[in-house]
Amino acid sequence: MAAAVEQLRAGARETLEDLLRLFSSIYFAVSLFAVWGFLTLIGVIVDQGKDPQFYWTNYSPALARLVLRLHLDNIYHGTLYVGVIGAIVASLAVCTFRRVIPARLPPLRPVRIEHIPLNATLALEGEESTIRERLERFLRERGWQIRKREFGGEEWTFADKHNWARRGVLVAHIGFAIITAGTTWYWAQGFSGDTAIVTGETQTIPQTGARIRLEHFGYRFDPIKTKSGLIYQPIDYVSQVRYAGRDNVWRDATIRVNQPLDIDGTLYYQATYGFATEFSLLRNGKPIAGVPAGFLKEGQALEVGPGRGIEYSQFVGTIDRKTGRATNDPRPNDPGVVVRIVDGERVLGAALLPIGGSIDLGRGFRLSAPRFVVYSGIQYRYDPGMVLVGIGAFVLLSGLCIAFYFLPARLFLRLIGNGSKWELGVAATTVKGYDVFEDQFRELVGALGRCN
Amino acid sequence: MQLDQILLAIAIAAYVAGALALIAYFLTRNEGLRRIGIPLAIVGCAAQFAELGTRWAISGIWPLTNLYGSLSLFSAMGVLIFTIFAFRYRLWFAGGFVLLIAAIALGYATTWNEGFMPPVPALQSYWIKIHVPLVISAYASFMVSFVVSLLYLIKYYAEAQYRRGGVVHAAAAGSTGASIPISAASAYAALDDAESGVRVGARRGDTPALAAAAERGDAVALWLGSLPTLAQLDVMTYRIVGVGLPLLTIGIITGAMWAKESWGAYWQWDPKETAALVSWIVYASYMHLHTRNAWRGVRAAWISIFGFATIVFCYLGVNIWISGLHSYKV
Ligand code: HEM
Repeated sequence: MAAAVEQLRAGARETLEDLLRLFSSIYFAVSLFAVWGFLTLIGVIVDQGKDPQFYWTNYSPALARLVLRLHLDNIYHGTLYVGVIGAIVASLAVCTFRRVIPARLPPLRPVRIEHIPLNATLALEGEESTIRERLERFLRERGWQIRKREFGGEEWTFADKHNWARRGVLVAHIGFAIITAGTTWYWAQGFSGDTAIVTGETQTIPQTGARIRLEHFGYRFDPIKTKSGLIYQPIDYVSQVRYAGRDNVWRDATIRVNQPLDIDGTLYYQATYGFATEFSLLRNGKPIAGVPAGFLKEGQALEVGPGRGIEYSQFVGTIDRKTGRATNDPRPNDPGVVVRIVDGERVLGAALLPIGGSIDLGRGFRLSAPRFVVYSGIQYRYDPGMVLVGIGAFVLLSGLCIAFYFLPARLFLRLIGNGSKWELGVAATTVKGYDVFEDQFRELVGALGRCN
Repeated sequence: MQLDQILLAIAIAAYVAGALALIAYFLTRNEGLRRIGIPLAIVGCAAQFAELGTRWAISGIWPLTNLYGSLSLFSAMGVLIFTIFAFRYRLWFAGGFVLLIAAIALGYATTWNEGFMPPVPALQSYWIKIHVPLVISAYASFMVSFVVSLLYLIKYYAEAQYRRGGVVHAAAAGSTGASIPISAASAYAALDDAESGVRVGARRGDTPALAAAAERGDAVALWLGSLPTLAQLDVMTYRIVGVGLPLLTIGIITGAMWAKESWGAYWQWDPKETAALVSWIVYASYMHLHTRNAWRGVRAAWISIFGFATIVFCYLGVNIWISGLHSYKV
């Protein structure tokens, strides 16, 4: 029994060791990177977060089926994607402890000089102590840190440059881990949402209880002549609001793009705007039972029967009086709305209805759009991990700069001989291989030879 | 013609002439051509920065709010980064190709020039002055590293070709007389420096077949042999990517901060920011694999080429074909 338990334990230890070995392999890490990159790329190419109908209409049936079956329509929040990022973080952690820390701070050990690709031998003459002193002074003057050790009665000199920078990788990895922690904190405790507030209306934000009233929404479009014609460039969107937070005191504020409003730590952003239009549908001059009158936003519909409706599909700022067609001027000079009569998925017809006017839909039905109001789309977000992400980004960058711009190198020096005839063996290693240091090594050895 | 247009014309002319001079230098190694090409590169680059400054001064509008402005900066930064590296690491041989890409990018940029356009509200932020130059400079660095990797691959495959084509000359291959695999360790040997009496372990040329062919007077081999060694080209690529990756990292981070300020979330999985993440992943993989001996050299060069392909996709493909929050067409 005890033997079986012991065997089981040994098996588990071995499996764990195998797993740790796998997770600390840089090739495994890069394979995870490749999967991460591939999945991310799919998300760039395949439209994300649309209704299934969107894929059936815009993609070939086979592709739409593939996208929906494999959940490629919401790839970044899928189990596979989050799992790969989780595996990357796990791999990063395991690798940091098992490889980066031990490998990057190597102990001082003698080497077989001629087996290291960057090596040199110099014949020197003089007293041993004088040679050693001269050698050390030469290296110190060039910024090398000297340490000496004796191995088997032989004295070895080790010279390090940018030894501190060996921790650059560790710093970069820690930065990445901090960013991940910051974003996870947001997932765990943060929230976000959006709301559309019609002018004059007050909305209560469900998560915070904050109340926001839209006093006025202003927009500015400037007509600009370009080579491809006259365009109306949006210049400014601004919401004048009154709000009350936790203290119940009402205050005035302005929300602009790039200038969010902070209420009790939650930020409110100017995200979109639109025109809510009032519709009225009459039959033979009388209201129709069951068809509500009121304001609709773009994309909403008046239900007039099972599956049937009149959809408010688009607001048109300016209708050309001569042609009766929509122009590209988005400013509401002579406004109108595009409505579509839909039956299930089928569009039975569309019309441009001027604000204040009405159209005959046949069989005694008449649709009118007496007025419109502007609404402001506000996005809000509470993100407790923001500071961590900022710190992580800074740490990550510092690590990258340390790892890339400082080259930790080690020289191994051994003096053998006797009397006044000596031979100095020098070898060099760096954390980035030998090629990167070859020119400097040659120059260094040349200078060493000359100072002899 | 307005001053900015004159400067633009000077820049394009200087790049085209500079590209021709430096490509001719690449083929002939005539120093005179280099002495003509490099000043032309500097003149073109200066004219471009002056042009961007002039546009800003004339219109009062930050010039990097559309594809025209950003492509202009891309070519100017590409030439600037090339010039700095050229002086520091003797990268002259890559100049003709860098200038050619800069000229094409600038020429293409002009097709997107719609005149002076005020920025849309989302772009009216101080972040545009930080984020855009960083990202564009990262792209420009990757363009230069792409050129060096391309030259690496040309030399590498030429070596393989020459090696298949004949027995390697004994002198060039060292004492073994056999062909040497192109790997870091085997390319080193102890060489005696007769002058100083110092024996130094050093690289003995990592393209012996090309060296042998050059000795026989083969023109292509002579020309490729005058490029830096494969190991040096690999180190140069690594160093340039080492400039680009931190720039891209800060670029993505500042972009996220800006997104936070204008859209309320650092990350919206917008096609543009996501495509930049893909490039970041590719170059982070490059850096990791470059720490392994087996992955330095030809494999690293291919990753660098692939990385630049993702940059082109992220930069132009996404802007032009996939609309999103970042698309300049909106
Ligand atoms: C799966 C996750 C990761 C693993 C397992 C991993 C592992 C490693 C290892 C083992 C090294 C040292 C290689 C050596 O010299 O022997 C390294 C280098 C490095 N890592 Fe990571 N890493 C990961 C993710 C990251 C991330 C996300 C960053 C952030 C930018 C990063 C930045 C760096 C840098 C800058 C280097 C130094 C490269 C050089 O010196 O050229 N790593 N990584």
